Amino acid sequence: MPLLDIKNLTLEIESTQGWIKALDKVSLQLEGGEVRALVGESGSGKSLIVKSIVGAIPEHWRITADRMSWKGQDLISMSSDARRRIMREDIAVIFQNPVNSLDPSASLGEQLMESIPDHLLDKGWFWQRAAQRKQIAVKLLHKVGIKEHSKYLQAYPSALPDDICQKFMIASALAASPKLLIADDPTRGMEVTTKVQILKLLTRLNKIRGLSILFVSHDLLAISNMANTMTVLYCGQTVESGKMHQLRRRPLHPYTHALMESAPSFRKDLPPKSPLATLDGTIPTLQHLPIGCRLGPRCPRAQRECVKVPEERRIHNHFYSCHFPLHRSLK
Amino acid sequence: MFRFVLRHFNLYVLTLLVLCIFSFWLAYLFPGDPLVNLTGLTLNDPADYQAMAQKYHMDSGILVQFWHYLVLLWDGDWGFSFSSGLPLYQEIFDSLPATVELSTYALLLSLLIGIPLGFLAGLRHHRTTDNALLAASVVGYSTPVFWLALLMILLFSLQLGWFPLSGRISLLFDVPHDTGFILVDIWLSDMPNKGAAMINAVQHMVMPVLSITIVTTAIVLRLTRRAVVEVMPKEYVQAAYARGLSKHQVILRHVVRNAMLPILPLLAMQSTILLTNAMIVEVIYSWPGIGNWLIQAIYQRDYPAIRAGMLAVSTLVVSLTIFIDLLARIIDPTRERGARAKI
Ligand SMILES: Nc1ncnc2c1ncn2[C@@H]1O[C@H](COP(=O)(O)OP(=O)(O)OP(=O)(O)O)[C@@H](O)[C@H]1O
Ligand code: SF4
Ligand SMILES: [Mg+2]
Repeated sequence: MPLLDIKNLTLEIESTQGWIKALDKVSLQLEGGEVRALVGESGSGKSLIVKSIVGAIPEHWRITADRMSWKGQDLISMSSDARRRIMREDIAVIFQNPVNSLDPSASLGEQLMESIPDHLLDKGWFWQRAAQRKQIAVKLLHKVGIKEHSKYLQAYPSALPDDICQKFMIASALAASPKLLIADDPTRGMEVTTKVQILKLLTRLNKIRGLSILFVSHDLLAISNMANTMTVLYCGQTVESGKMHQLRRRPLHPYTHALMESAPSFRKDLPPKSPLATLDGTIPTLQHLPIGCRLGPRCPRAQRECVKVPEERRIHNHFYSCHFPLHRSLK
Repeated sequence: MFRFVLRHFNLYVLTLLVLCIFSFWLAYLFPGDPLVNLTGLTLNDPADYQAMAQKYHMDSGILVQFWHYLVLLWDGDWGFSFSSGLPLYQEIFDSLPATVELSTYALLLSLLIGIPLGFLAGLRHHRTTDNALLAASVVGYSTPVFWLALLMILLFSLQLGWFPLSGRISLLFDVPHDTGFILVDIWLSDMPNKGAAMINAVQHMVMPVLSITIVTTAIVLRLTRRAVVEVMPKEYVQAAYARGLSKHQVILRHVVRNAMLPILPLLAMQSTILLTNAMIVEVIYSWPGIGNWLIQAIYQRDYPAIRAGMLAVSTLVVSLTIFIDLLARIIDPTRERGARAKI
């Protein structure tokens, strides 16, 4: 049974022009011990998926799904208490914008210690527990590469640089020893050495503890080293998903193809100074979504049939949604 | 930090200076001899007049005069009242505590009622509870205080006879004037019938305090509600939920503080409205406070009293506003150092 199983997740948000499907039939599966990359252009809805999974979306948005379950338990219909327990013990999340996800009026130490669940503490008296909490917090900070913990535990988020806040977010996500870590762009804006350090830490946790990771990132190179599987998102639709090496070697969807082509480090045979292949145009805004396949206006292979939303098809474990995939020649 | 305390201090000193200039100027603006308006004495004897002119340096330039006016103000020599002939300094400091007492109780009560209700409304944004509370607060906010006070007199004093009509305490009791806060004074005194005096004083206080409280509560409620509505969808609140905290924990640990911090300075600004309302209410309930005293002074064209009274009241308001604002900003860790210094 997959750890996290999402089938046809649709999220409608309210705008001035009525309800818009910001996510349209997104499917995503994650097995235990798997590292799945979630990639897509900026604005394709990656963060919305993350927020839908953890339930951090405004109450009045409409969320529907054929299936959205954690270890077989349905997340949507379950009681808020049960869902909270799962969020407390099993799933941890690093939101994209670390500074906004930290309470500006509470010290970082306070917030980090708050993420340590009670069941990790074994001491009896409350002052012993407080001391133990602090110990665990310091250990966590060392893990994510913060050495001067005493300097930062008392500090407030506004007083610290972004990357420290980011590391605090990572530390507090790891505090509960979760089974699944959802990391939304965790290394954005970090300098290379810290980035490598964080990626190494995550890889190690995956290898040693079997931590599953849903890794959202723009950094294709980092992802390809780390992830086993990948889901590609475009405009709130999952366009292709499958094993990492499969998608790299032989993408079936025109969008994935373009994405891979656009990353120079991905192509070993790239002759020097050759122009980068890109798609024409830019990602449409939510207010101007094309009907049918949302890639339509930008797709080099688009035909008349593309005004209908393509069904998801599969070849073994490789899913794609396209009427004219790359392995089929155009008429 | 130091720079920004300094900035508040500068602002404070400058504002006070402007107020002093204005009050000094009033002596010239009012009809009659400026010297008489400054001293409050009718100086018929030329020798007395000369002595006073000397004291106030009337024959020197205006700046010198102003300087000596400041020195006298500082020394507590504020002149005398036309009508009572008593020193103004003493008169004002006898009546000011009564006003402060009234306002303090009203403020405490409205914070006690307004903040929880504001939270209730904010957490149930756009639902029935919220709408009902909002409607009630609009009514409370837009009711004129003097009308409300009269209405309460009509209902609770004249019709039902629950509370006394006016004054601060029944004439039967002789409360020593110590701090000026009547409840405190009764508490500290060694009167024979302390309990009865206390009850009597509270009975006198109920209606004036309630009249002010209603308006202030409405304001506090609206400010709190707005702040809560703004904080709830913030990412850190969502993130706290995602960390698996319960609704209670999220509200207590993350919402309350973040909602209250930005409205503390706003609440400070309300002290102006609060005092104004207190002064109006005093007149209606014959409460022996500064508002009542000032109105009497205006009726009787007691120019020195108006001058000194205005100065005292505005100094009080300015001090309160700036001090609470400073305090609110010092304890607020959410702002950047630079941003915190802005006024
Ligand atoms: N609170 C919101 N209200 C309205 N629209 C929103 C809201 N949050 C996101 N959106 C819209 O949903 C779409 C997807 O946003 P999302 O943040 O998920 O993109 P993303 O893939 O995470 O991009 P990035 O890589 O830049 O993080 C965007 O078009 C955005 O404008
Ligand atoms: S369905 Fe059509 S428009 Fe969409 S990706 Fe495939 S070929 Fe392009
Ligand atoms: Mg995002």
